Amino acid sequence: MAQAAPVIQPDLELSYEVPEQVTLLTDAWRRLRRNRLALLGGAIIAVLFMVALISIVWTPYPVWLQAVGPTYQPPSLHHLLGLDQAGRDILSRIMGGALITVEVGIGSAVILSLIGIPLGLLAGFYRGRVDTVISFFINIWYGIPDLLVALILVFVLSDALHLIPRGVFVIIVAFSLTRWMDVARLVRGQSLALREREFVEAARMAGGRDLALIFRHIFPNALGPIIVQATFAIPAAVLFEAFLSFLGLGLPPPTPSWGAMASDGYHGMDFAPHIVLAPTIALSITLMAFNWLGDGLRDAFDPRMRR
Amino acid sequence: MQDLRVQFATSGGTVTAVDGIDFDIDRGEIVGIVGESGSGKTMTALSVLRLIPEPGKITSGRILFGEKDVVQMTDEEIREFRGNDVAMIFQDPMTSLNPVLRVGFQVEEAMAAHRRFSRRQSHDRVVPLLQRVRIPAAKDRVRDFPHQFSGGMRQRAMIAMGVSNEPSLLIADEPTTALDVTVQASIIELVRDLSRELRAAVMLITHNMALVASLCNRVIVMYAGRIVEEGPTRSIFKNPQHPYTWSLLRSMPRVDEVEKERLISIKGLPPDLGRMPPGCKFHPRCKFRIDRCMTEEPPLGEVDPGQMARCWVLMKNVPNPEAVAQK
Repeated sequence: MAQAAPVIQPDLELSYEVPEQVTLLTDAWRRLRRNRLALLGGAIIAVLFMVALISIVWTPYPVWLQAVGPTYQPPSLHHLLGLDQAGRDILSRIMGGALITVEVGIGSAVILSLIGIPLGLLAGFYRGRVDTVISFFINIWYGIPDLLVALILVFVLSDALHLIPRGVFVIIVAFSLTRWMDVARLVRGQSLALREREFVEAARMAGGRDLALIFRHIFPNALGPIIVQATFAIPAAVLFEAFLSFLGLGLPPPTPSWGAMASDGYHGMDFAPHIVLAPTIALSITLMAFNWLGDGLRDAFDPRMRR
Repeated sequence: MQDLRVQFATSGGTVTAVDGIDFDIDRGEIVGIVGESGSGKTMTALSVLRLIPEPGKITSGRILFGEKDVVQMTDEEIREFRGNDVAMIFQDPMTSLNPVLRVGFQVEEAMAAHRRFSRRQSHDRVVPLLQRVRIPAAKDRVRDFPHQFSGGMRQRAMIAMGVSNEPSLLIADEPTTALDVTVQASIIELVRDLSRELRAAVMLITHNMALVASLCNRVIVMYAGRIVEEGPTRSIFKNPQHPYTWSLLRSMPRVDEVEKERLISIKGLPPDLGRMPPGCKFHPRCKFRIDRCMTEEPPLGEVDPGQMARCWVLMKNVPNPEAVAQK
């Protein structure tokens, strides 16, 4: 047989200029930055977070304090957004509501991810019987009317059993328990596809444990879609809380929930529309901001958009 | 490896991908397994790690590694065995590294899965390992992501992961097919050096005869899930006895025999594993067949010291093979 070609020996001590590290996340961030609407959404969310944080230590007036001025007073220099039917400063209450919105949104996204991601990973990775059981529960859960379950949970856990005080937490739990399936189903699909990839097989052949395969190899590669899905869960949770509170089934007064505030002002809509408008506009802007950001993230993580 | 049989239960019936394979590999030996696609060579390798894809199953036989039988191991034993005693190098380094993890971390992880090295040791071994497989500027490169590596470098990183636990058997499944010709030579040299250094056996799965000739001590030729010929590389290349091996070798151009003879092609396709022909599995494509080939399957018999072939005819009994084959 012919001699093998001479091998050029590389200089092993050669130093090497490390180029800019391009990870999936930095790559996604680059594309996100080009998306104006997503950036605007991100900026609005940043403001929302800041307002929420500030409201912990300072609001112009205490959020619960009544009769700081005449009831139904329209916006003025002293009270930029006016006063509500109990004479409370609406700006202060909007700020306090921002904190609740952030808590509900982020809390729900985190908890439903904590439920959905492990279930999805297990179903997709082990397939077979594990998948059958988990997929069965996913499908059953889709069939259950979520609002009904949420109401029952709020009534049973808080009002009847007094397990959790009626507050943000019970809403988060109720929302997460009824909406974890989207994430679980998404992660299951990702996991099903990723487990067949060669690097997972290679890690298995190197003697990797199942848990290491799942969390080190499959999970990080599914992170993009998970982030997108979680981002879309936030506005849904926010709207859910506002909706429940509007019906008087969510957070109890005097909690400055935007939904409860809209409900309070509803009766005086024809002569003091600012009471309804302030929380509803705040809510709309927030929902829009999260949806813009979510759309932007989805595009940014989509490999087909890569240029 | 004794009488290994791998079967797939498909909707169209049971398919036997590997049928009664029998061979052994000694320490430090480099054995080439050659054959067409679908001849069962990859399945043979995967069964050593007990990683036959569903719905395949090892239905009979034993795979002895030292004293232990791989087929009988518990799940935890087999996990500890993979990567520790036997490591595998893949065909396509492009897809075998996790795109979101740094290369150095992945090499470290290969060691972390086993108890041979402590956490500290594993961490300290990464750069020397990458240097050992000749990755330039390894100190800086450990923090790179796989997509910042070239194909050859990725294959080197895969090899570094493979040898990180100093396995005694290295299975290389077509390690060079996805690489440039120039890179192939250096990867081959690397595999040879490492196997010598670690005194590890190498099982090289390929259809590249030139690769086998330059690297292996011994060759196993597979066809339709069976070993059709086996022996030392020299004698197989000089005196192939099975018509399949003979035709394979004659189907390759050789630099040292310029235009002396026409290349020979093997007509037809390997048999459908679900509907095997009776008798010798190669007879429908064989130019040298006799009546017996169509009804009775020949055993694997010794034709020369150390060389075995599964054939009723044997090439040494054919007076003018070139003429017959060209017909």
